[in-house]
Amino acid sequence: MIISSYMRTEHRACDEIFAAAEKHVIDGDFEKAEEQFILFADDTIRHFKKEEESLFPTFEELTGNTEGPTRIMKFEHEQVRGLIGKMAEAVENKDSDAYLSLAESMMILLQQHNMKEEQMLYAMCDRMIPQDVKESTLETMKAIEL
Amino acid sequence: MFSQGGLSLEQAPPISVVMKFFITASLFGLILGLYLLASSSGLLTYSAYAYNVTITHFLALGVMASFMLGALFQMLPVIAGVVIKMPSKKSMVVHVLLMVGVFLQLFAFNTSISLLYLFSAIILGSALLHATTLMIKELIKVQDHSSSSKGMLLSLSSFTIAIVFGIYLLLTLGGYISGDAFTQVKEAHYSFALFGWVALLIVSVSFQVVEMFYVTPKYPTIMSKYLVTAIVMLLVLKLIALFISLPTVGIDLILALLFIAYGIITLHRLYRRKRPTSDATVWFWRLGMGLLIVSMFITALGTVTSIDQGLKSISYLAFIGFALSIVFAMNYKIVPFLTWFHLSNQGYMEAPMMHDVIHPKKAKIHFYIHIAMLVTWTLSILFNLPMIDIVASLLVVLSFGWLLYHLIFAVRKYNYTQKHTEKIEW
Ligand SMILES: [Fe+2]
Ligand SMILES: [Fe+2]
Repeated sequence: MIISSYMRTEHRACDEIFAAAEKHVIDGDFEKAEEQFILFADDTIRHFKKEEESLFPTFEELTGNTEGPTRIMKFEHEQVRGLIGKMAEAVENKDSDAYLSLAESMMILLQQHNMKEEQMLYAMCDRMIPQDVKESTLETMKAIEL
Repeated sequence: MFSQGGLSLEQAPPISVVMKFFITASLFGLILGLYLLASSSGLLTYSAYAYNVTITHFLALGVMASFMLGALFQMLPVIAGVVIKMPSKKSMVVHVLLMVGVFLQLFAFNTSISLLYLFSAIILGSALLHATTLMIKELIKVQDHSSSSKGMLLSLSSFTIAIVFGIYLLLTLGGYISGDAFTQVKEAHYSFALFGWVALLIVSVSFQVVEMFYVTPKYPTIMSKYLVTAIVMLLVLKLIALFISLPTVGIDLILALLFIAYGIITLHRLYRRKRPTSDATVWFWRLGMGLLIVSMFITALGTVTSIDQGLKSISYLAFIGFALSIVFAMNYKIVPFLTWFHLSNQGYMEAPMMHDVIHPKKAKIHFYIHIAMLVTWTLSILFNLPMIDIVASLLVVLSFGWLLYHLIFAVRKYNYTQKHTEKIEW
């Protein structure tokens, strides 16, 4: 279960930072909010990069399917990236209502995305990918930078 | 194998499927309020029996089942990775038959015309069995069950049992069968419907949704893994005990205690949630869990000592309040999210943000109306004053009317965006 546990930890870490940013927005401290939000955006986009450049190709090679789950996951990544852009704008404009509204959409979108990855995609990866390939994939993912 | 469609909200049913059920449910709630108003103002009079079964079934089927089936059509693909093909067509059949069936049943209870019992058994039975079997059929195929998807499967199975028992009861009331086991079947019908269907579905959904919406710590594994199975096993045991005339109080007590434990743990999850927002939906969840605990505490008390009718009514009211609170909480998240989601997926750059669909402040107002409604009904049970009954009934009308208004507003916003704003092709 090394893929699941590594990726799940990353999801949780992003949740924490996201919650911290949201809290600062509610408190009206936009400087700290922006700081946390940038952290969240970087971590999330890096995580997506790990999936798109390393984990998904491995999965696709193994299943011979590039049109299936990974395509949908990538599509959802695109949606999240779009929202990140809008939220960045809101935090810059110190518009807390817009930020909180977007944050609501972001959380549902991201959580259901993560849920599907954790329950289906990562679980399948852990079950189907041979141990040595799993380890090398994990190493590649750890090395990926923004 | 991995079904592509089930993996994404992209494959979720059109928003109209969900909205249709939610709007109907609110409309039924509104009609229920008017029915209550008519009886509390003395405009219409009914026997206590007709009054009780009418309210219970109008609430359970017209309101709760409509909400819950609508939510299931939406959530099965997302939570359980289940694809329901042709959701619009299938849900339409369920929807229309359910609406007709609920009214037929209402008239059957209030007139005791034998033929109406028969028709309501046939129409309601086919609407609900069609819905449960089509969902169960897909859910059974799921390979990696999460606690949520397993719970949904079990709660839909409980619902199926409750429906079959319900058909038996209706046919007995209509005089079509002798109904020798009427008393036992009635008790089992209520247990499977309330604990097995309503409460269990809320439990299963919460395992995923509470974490997902509020970013809370996970439920303890022992609970997410075994609670739903334990509840269903207890219900089956209860069924057997009923038919071999063994006492069932012990089972009722354990059931009540399990739900109390679940309520407390959920409250604790919410308390430890990472997201700082305390919007109305968080409050609806808290209230719902509090009411579940109250209701189950009284039930537990009733198994060890005798309690008076007033207390029983309060337990019943608290259970209704619990179910409605959770349904409202879900509505105020699902509807704005889906409106935004579908529109932005279709490429509308000006897709309204969630707060522009239904602002959290509106949901908060509904929360206060809901509380006022529960308080006045409690007062009505305690003091039995006609004046309070009228106010309480008006609050039911207001509560569902408020929700209905905002659902219609969301639909209009959706249509407006589609008609009048620009779309880019992906
Ligand atoms: Fe992802
Ligand atoms: Fe991920």
